[in-house]
Amino acid sequence: MTAATEKIEQPVGPEKPQEIPVDWKANIVAFACHYCAFAAADLAGVMRLSYPSNVKVVRLPCSGKLDHSYILRAFERGIDGVFAAG
Amino acid sequence: MTRITPQQESENRIGAVLVVGAGIGGMQAALDLANSGLKVHLINDEPSIGGTMSRLDKTFPTGDCAMCMISPRMVESSRHPNIEMHTMARVLSVSGAEGNFTATVEQVARYVDADRCTGCGACEAKCPTKVFDVFNQGLSKRKAIYALFPQAVPNTRAIDPQKCLYLTRDVCRKCEKVCDADAINFEDKDKQFDLQVGSIILTPGLKTYQPEIRQEFGYGRLKNVVTSLQFERLLSASGPCAGTVTRPSDGGHPKRLAWIQCVGSRNSHNSNPWCSSVCCMYAAKQSIIAKEHDNEVQATVFYMELRAFGKDFDKYIDKAKNDAGVIYKRTMVSEVVEDPETHNLFIHSVAEDGTLINEEFDMVILSIGFEPRTDAADFADIFGIDTDEYGFAKTSKLAPVETSRKGVFVAGTYQGPKDIPETVIQGSSAAAGAMALLGERRGTEVKEVVLPDELDVEGEESRIGVIVCHCGTNIAGTVDVQKVADVAAKEPGVTHAETVIYACAPDGQQRIRDLIKEKNLNRVVVASCTPRTHGPLFQDTIREVGLNKFLFELADIREQCSWCHMHDNENATSKAIEIVNMNIAKTNRLVPVTTSSVGVNHTALVIGGGIAGMTASLSLVDQGYAVHLVEREETLGGLVRNVRANLEGDDVQIYLADVIKRVQGNSAITLHMGTTVDKVDGFVGNFETSLTNGDSVAHGAILIASGGVEYSPEEYKYTESDRVVTQRELEHMLAENEPEGGKCYVMVQCVGSREEPNNYCSRICCQDALKNSIAIKEKDPAAQVVVIYRDIRAYGLKEDYYRKARDLGVLFFLYTPDEKPNVEPEAEKLKVTFPGKVLGKEMVIDADYVVLSTGLRPQPDVEKFAKKFKLTCNIDDFFLEAHVKLRPVDFPSEGFFLAGLAHAPKNIEETIAQANAAAARVGALLSHESLSVSGVISKHNRDLCMSCLACVKHCPFGAPFIDEDGRVSHNEVKCTGCGICAGVCPAKAYQVNYFRDDQITAMIDSVTDVF
Repeated sequence: MTAATEKIEQPVGPEKPQEIPVDWKANIVAFACHYCAFAAADLAGVMRLSYPSNVKVVRLPCSGKLDHSYILRAFERGIDGVFAAG
Repeated sequence: MTRITPQQESENRIGAVLVVGAGIGGMQAALDLANSGLKVHLINDEPSIGGTMSRLDKTFPTGDCAMCMISPRMVESSRHPNIEMHTMARVLSVSGAEGNFTATVEQVARYVDADRCTGCGACEAKCPTKVFDVFNQGLSKRKAIYALFPQAVPNTRAIDPQKCLYLTRDVCRKCEKVCDADAINFEDKDKQFDLQVGSIILTPGLKTYQPEIRQEFGYGRLKNVVTSLQFERLLSASGPCAGTVTRPSDGGHPKRLAWIQCVGSRNSHNSNPWCSSVCCMYAAKQSIIAKEHDNEVQATVFYMELRAFGKDFDKYIDKAKNDAGVIYKRTMVSEVVEDPETHNLFIHSVAEDGTLINEEFDMVILSIGFEPRTDAADFADIFGIDTDEYGFAKTSKLAPVETSRKGVFVAGTYQGPKDIPETVIQGSSAAAGAMALLGERRGTEVKEVVLPDELDVEGEESRIGVIVCHCGTNIAGTVDVQKVADVAAKEPGVTHAETVIYACAPDGQQRIRDLIKEKNLNRVVVASCTPRTHGPLFQDTIREVGLNKFLFELADIREQCSWCHMHDNENATSKAIEIVNMNIAKTNRLVPVTTSSVGVNHTALVIGGGIAGMTASLSLVDQGYAVHLVEREETLGGLVRNVRANLEGDDVQIYLADVIKRVQGNSAITLHMGTTVDKVDGFVGNFETSLTNGDSVAHGAILIASGGVEYSPEEYKYTESDRVVTQRELEHMLAENEPEGGKCYVMVQCVGSREEPNNYCSRICCQDALKNSIAIKEKDPAAQVVVIYRDIRAYGLKEDYYRKARDLGVLFFLYTPDEKPNVEPEAEKLKVTFPGKVLGKEMVIDADYVVLSTGLRPQPDVEKFAKKFKLTCNIDDFFLEAHVKLRPVDFPSEGFFLAGLAHAPKNIEETIAQANAAAARVGALLSHESLSVSGVISKHNRDLCMSCLACVKHCPFGAPFIDEDGRVSHNEVKCTGCGICAGVCPAKAYQVNYFRDDQITAMIDSVTDVF
């Protein structure tokens, strides 16, 4: 346990944060269970709900099928965000 | 009643069933029948199937979304090859008799051609006429051409002829102009046709009470007074305010919400005399969900009695009280008054101490009850069945789904008020009745589809065809579909890409079939709508020309692209390109998937020789299957042996004797008495069970009806005095001896129930108390009967008996668990004292008898028993079903079914209904010659497997197992393809067909290819 009085040091990053280009858009992949989250994404469309277009859905038979290697692979190849839903 | 079916008579019987009403009960009956090989005509008067359940937001006690549960059922019903749907139709007349009816059906004009309509909805957008949306309970508007609700099945729009400008005033026709599929047909006429069926199941559903009648609550006059069904729509994410509850007067977010219970129920003056059975629970659910939506909500429920009598219902009420902070006030509301400035509402009520209270609320919800439909009397006439005095279909409590006309069955709220699982149970139960009647005619009315041999594409280079659908303007209006096709054409493995106006329309599907042949395609990607509804359709299409179903992928660029990125055409087009390319990447790696099948042993093993097990066994043999019935005692009958009569007065012992006689006299039932199950091996369709007496039984399904026990009390000096008896003992006393004149009986309810460690309602004790009270008073009006209770749970039509008991002079006094009555045996009498809530004084009664309403308990050794089957129980040790709402008699493990007290406390009527329901589910399974194993399953590679047992531990279905050689093997029959094993396997020994790691990784690589 850390005592409440102990000073918390700010983490120092090894690199300077990169400049974000003006037209930059995050690239996001979503892993969705066929039965619930994928159905929810469909319903969002049926109800004409709007959300940013930079999310692409990969359908899985169950969120239990989500393998850690998929997430690592996505980040390894430069994805900006992974959204797991199920 | 068993139907002894002579062979010659069955020849004239028709292997088809008419199901009237396509709510959840009708769909359940239809699916069970269709799965057993009978043809089903499913009739519904609305343009979509779904019924009342489709209007609900969430369901108690799990809080699951109603639409998420019912939607797959609707799709399944519409796609089932043995089910023919007739929407916007009603039955005009029925002739004939059991086994061979002719029903004349009228189908009103829809004005939209279902074969052409693609469900795109372009017509609806252009229609200028707005009308009140009945589905949303008048809270919003819809168009004159409409879908009943967004997830409607079929998704063909319909035109309301009373509202359509062209049909009423001969102008407009805008829908016709905008429809690219030429589906609008103003020439459409009402049609009549005849259907030949062997049996009829009535599931017409309900009407809700019109609360305008109770003027003191102000419905229709005060804007912020809504019905509970309107509140469901307000809560619903697909409702009129997209799930953010707003109040009608000003669109503000209401914080102080009040529910008034029993509006239209339990009042024979200006409402219905019965209890509607569900309102207590849905009010708790709505208050919990409202709180989930907005944490500042303070809910108050004004109620008369909390009837939380179902499985885990009391726990749900506790959750409402303790977690959601719902305030429950036991009081009758005299009126609701509006503040004319703020439109806030004042509720006048009387507090427990007698003071008058006037509380302010932002919104008031009236918990309206059920009643038979307005046309219930005519409806009964059409089918020639009797109704009770209220208009519900008349049935016996010992044959709860049989109407007065042979071959016509009833299920759901038309038989009496009930909730979803009981409706589902009755749906299956009615199906069992029809299956028993028409068992020998299975498969005679259904068509068999002959398909060409599959093409061998192994080792071939990918030749993918990509079809990008315009969906009218639904996709093409936002996404540049031509550009999507052009980009796709350049992707690796793609041979051909083009666009079509409607891929799902008959001409679109023909184009796909033609392209496969012309271009010699060996894989297909369709970019259109969701694979959830349209995937199977296209898979069938490619299979018809010889391509394996799994050489197909559907890229969802409508629901997940064009519809949610409207007016952002450029980004929507890039996203569509990415989605299509992801799916092309996956499709390049798709391989044919073969579906294997296993044979089915047409024998059932029924465990438990009580009323549930025997009823189910008789239904199964009537359907044509053999049964092994195992009972660990030496006698049949179970707990019912101790019951003389039910609340409604049927002689249970005569009934039981008849059932036992029929079971013992039936050569298809093999009895195994005085023994129980030792060990179960095998899987669905092929079980091998050894019994403790050394016998071994081969069977295809297992039905567990192992029952429970009656609680033997220690409370209230039961063990000290002979004059403290249980309800069961009193029942015997009353039956054997005339009551001595003028005695005083004090009944204490909830003995051993609704309190830790048995914090559940035993459901039958209130009925027992009413039954015995009425019996005493009828035999000896001078006798005094006092019932000390917490809530009288006389649900549904049993309310009549509660009223009757009061009319006979039975006195009812309330107690709370923190102030229980005290029983003190004295020389002659028993002194009963308890705090009198109404008078505010201690009450003292000198009783001759104290009668304890003791509850039901699970079997004491149920945990050990459950382990033999790897089945689970709830916290109270009752077996846990696959799904509390929609699969109430199934276990999660395939081939295992459940009925009776082993599931939860219930009365004889409910046990019989559930036993027959389980028999229908078992029968539908056993009717198959073989069971095909789903294609999307996990494949186990033993060469990679280290037998670490991660999969064995995590699989919810028990598919991986430790084989005889001590290493892991995988039973594909049990596998559902969820892929949890693949996720946890450190050696990657599992790959799920159609979702293999290389296929998913290809999608990830594609989506990250932008750099």
